[in-house]
Amino acid sequence: MMIKRILAVIAVSILGVGAAFGAEIVKFGVQAPITGNYANEGQGIEKAVRLLAKQQNAKGGLLGHKIEVVVCDDEGKATQGALCARRLVNDGVFAVIGTYTSGAASAAQPIYARANVIQTSDGTAEMLTRRGYKTFFRNAPPNSAEAKFTAHYLVKIKHYSRIAVLSDHSSFSKGLGDATEAAVKRDGGHVIYRGYITAGSQNFMSVLTKIKSLKPDVIYFSGYYSDGGLLRAQQARLGIKAVFVGGDANQNTEFAKIAGSAARGTVIVNVPAPANLPYAEAKAFLADYKAAYGTAPPSIFTLTNADGMRAIMYAVEKTKSLNPDKVEDFLHHLRDFRGITGPLGFNKHGERLGSAFQAFEIQADGSYKTLYSE
Amino acid sequence: MELSTLLQQLVNGLTVGGIYALIALGYTMVYGILKLINFAHGDLAVLGAFIGLTVLGGQLGGGAPPAAWLVALAFIAAVLVVSLAGVALEFTAYRPLRHAHRLSAVVSALGASMFFENGMMLIWSPQTRVFPSHILPDITWHLGGVVLTFTQVLIVFSSLLLMLALYLYVNHTRFGTAIRAAAIDQDAARLMGINVNRVIISVFILGPALGAIGGLFIGIYYREAIFNMGWLYGLNAFIAAIIGGIGNIPGAMLGGLLLGLFNSLAAGYISSSWQEAITFGLLILILLVRPTGILGERVAEKV
Amino acid sequence: MRRLPTATLGPLLWFVGLAVPWLANGNWLSILSLFAIYAVVALSTDIVLGRAGLYDMGHAMYFGVGAYTTAILNTEYGVPVLWTLPLAVLVAAGVGALLAAPIVKLRGDYLLVVTIGFNEIFRLSMDNNVGGLTGGPDGIFGVGVPSLFGHDFSSQSDLYLLNWVVLGVALLLMRNLERSRVGRVFRYLKEDELAATTLGVNARAYKILAFALGAGLAGAAGMLFAVQLSTVSSGAFNFIESVTLFAIVIVGGQASIPGVLLGTVLMFVIPQVFQGLAQYRYFIFGIAMIVVMVLRPQGIWPRRRESAGE
Repeated sequence: MMIKRILAVIAVSILGVGAAFGAEIVKFGVQAPITGNYANEGQGIEKAVRLLAKQQNAKGGLLGHKIEVVVCDDEGKATQGALCARRLVNDGVFAVIGTYTSGAASAAQPIYARANVIQTSDGTAEMLTRRGYKTFFRNAPPNSAEAKFTAHYLVKIKHYSRIAVLSDHSSFSKGLGDATEAAVKRDGGHVIYRGYITAGSQNFMSVLTKIKSLKPDVIYFSGYYSDGGLLRAQQARLGIKAVFVGGDANQNTEFAKIAGSAARGTVIVNVPAPANLPYAEAKAFLADYKAAYGTAPPSIFTLTNADGMRAIMYAVEKTKSLNPDKVEDFLHHLRDFRGITGPLGFNKHGERLGSAFQAFEIQADGSYKTLYSE
Repeated sequence: MELSTLLQQLVNGLTVGGIYALIALGYTMVYGILKLINFAHGDLAVLGAFIGLTVLGGQLGGGAPPAAWLVALAFIAAVLVVSLAGVALEFTAYRPLRHAHRLSAVVSALGASMFFENGMMLIWSPQTRVFPSHILPDITWHLGGVVLTFTQVLIVFSSLLLMLALYLYVNHTRFGTAIRAAAIDQDAARLMGINVNRVIISVFILGPALGAIGGLFIGIYYREAIFNMGWLYGLNAFIAAIIGGIGNIPGAMLGGLLLGLFNSLAAGYISSSWQEAITFGLLILILLVRPTGILGERVAEKV
Repeated sequence: MRRLPTATLGPLLWFVGLAVPWLANGNWLSILSLFAIYAVVALSTDIVLGRAGLYDMGHAMYFGVGAYTTAILNTEYGVPVLWTLPLAVLVAAGVGALLAAPIVKLRGDYLLVVTIGFNEIFRLSMDNNVGGLTGGPDGIFGVGVPSLFGHDFSSQSDLYLLNWVVLGVALLLMRNLERSRVGRVFRYLKEDELAATTLGVNARAYKILAFALGAGLAGAAGMLFAVQLSTVSSGAFNFIESVTLFAIVIVGGQASIPGVLLGTVLMFVIPQVFQGLAQYRYFIFGIAMIVVMVLRPQGIWPRRRESAGE
């Protein structure tokens, strides 16, 4: 019985795929972690893509084609990433937005490349853009650029002499932390401590107590806002006077809520916030997202992926073509596109260009004040 | 090495250890009776945090500290809802499997964990949820170089107190005697006129209730909760129960506090990047020396 | 006579499976390709958990040891991919035996938590880039393509056939294990360790052997995994994956080859089919797990009672 039923299900889904093709439809895939530990990020990416597609369709679609969104949950895992890529390619998608984790992105990359499906992901691992896939576009700036700016700010501008660097064990956070540590040393700075926290474990008092005993001027954290806010709160609780500097993933309104009264004075390094950009598109997208879903986007990566999709749609409209080769070629020469996460472009490796970093300070009312920009 | 740093690490470790211990008590009680590793227990604790958040959340707008009665209501609601969920879990997922191979119930527990975790994601969103501030009095003591807060003291003392109450209840009341009897031999207990089902239900009320208190303490102390944090706390509490000797109530307390201290000292003095590996290494060492945990006795396994 | 249907149906299904590249689309080809790999890991888990009755909740680690062995040998030392297969098996089996030696004396749940511990230490070691070889949390990219007699197994169909053949070999091994003396000793140990020991069985040696065999087979699957995805990172081998393997064996049916294969279908293939449920998927899946266990406590396809001939 069981086998029969399973075979029936399998048969139905084989037949079902490939039926809806042609017509005036262009399919955009979303490969993202909809469940599991990164569900928050994945669902944000999905929501942003659906919103953009709806807005574009309301304007008459993309070159007259109605955009259809196909979502595949990769759970943030490499195995599922490869399966999703296969599924989306099979579904005949034109481009794929996502995914979030470097592991799932890299497993999917060769599959999209072979099928000539454009992929835009925020995956930060350096290798993603070093493998020669012309279909891949990283929509978040590389760690190295942010690390260089951060080191310059800490060492050359603020002249901190005792720097503690903290990361979690994720690919993104460890990569950014390592790059920043190296950049600080290159600039002649002094890293007195390099440590790790377990993301989501909430108890960071032990690591902070250790850091306290080393008397730092500044604590730099390269992880996510949910841990960053807690680190800041626990730092204040322990009475550590050092300045807290967080990497880009700390920029989230929730940071200040979690950190509570300790949030004030925290410095965050990132590309300009949408609200601070000199053009309307950024603010409009944030407002639309809030209106549609009732909350702010869960993280900066929702916005960078939205930018990836916006850039692809822009390229299609400019080239008046749904030919992936033409669109890819256009994207590889794109410069200073008005991204909602700052000016955006891609080099020939698909690496994001054009994002100028800034250091903001969180004010008492939760707003940001720009301290220094590139 | 400064003395104040060491003392601070001990304070840090004891606070987390107190939370682990509260959750470990539930693990160990269920295990004591059913020889079942209730993998959904960590998620039940997190459910407690979210119920508390929902009750307290009504105050969020004003920024004023929530009234004392509201805080009490949060704890009561968390305890009620979570123990109800615990009993429902026992009825639907564990009771039908009581006489099956014991690993069937373990897999049922894993399914239950998945159910609760994803259910909480659907209800409370996958986002980190923030608790209101100043739920408990913001009192901070500076003793030498050591910082101590009222919440920390409260967590450690209430976990000790609850453990002690549970211990006295199990060892010095009639119903407690029934619990112990059922833990040793259910069939014999039944022959002695003990209603074993009632005993088991009581365990699935007490354990989750303590877990809910632990979960709400997590929310109040760290001021945040996220749907998937049950695994990490559940695993740590389970390890704590094993270290102390699973099935043993003071053992769960001891295991929780020791684990908290290990974690703290490992992160502070050895290496933060290897902290969890050090913890697990220590656990393995303890088990090699004392194969049934520190206070555990050798008990026959139900097969 | 009762065994005849499965005995002929099994090989028949396997031969039908060989035709999949010509029948299925790319999506199903990759699902079944990964199914073959996960079926091998699940069978290897069953050796330790289902057959020898040792509560192993860290089995994904050996899968990972195999995958990392292949990835490191191929990308760092240029060893051809197929040559890494025996090495992946040996290294994984060695690690399995070495780690099992001190811990097999532990009883049930204590063994379970120690294997979880080993799994987590393994994951953290890979993330901490031990010896500069494991690539940290990014893992290792660019594992090569296997080639045999000048033919590159680069297409999806080729890789599928490779996986399917290894699955076939694993199934043969499992059937032989079932009928061998070693298999019988595992069964005695599981059912009544005391009696087996009194009959002169060296329990400790056989338990270590079970871990070595299970780990070795998982290592082979790890090699296939590294080749299939051409990238290896620690996330695929963490303790949550071990929990899934554990559940596959119990849901399917311990020490039952068709049971373990069905368990793999249920826990691995079904979630792919129900992608449409989106964020509700694992919520419903959790309920399904409970329901399956309550309705079929022995697993979906439990092992038959021993027939007289065996």
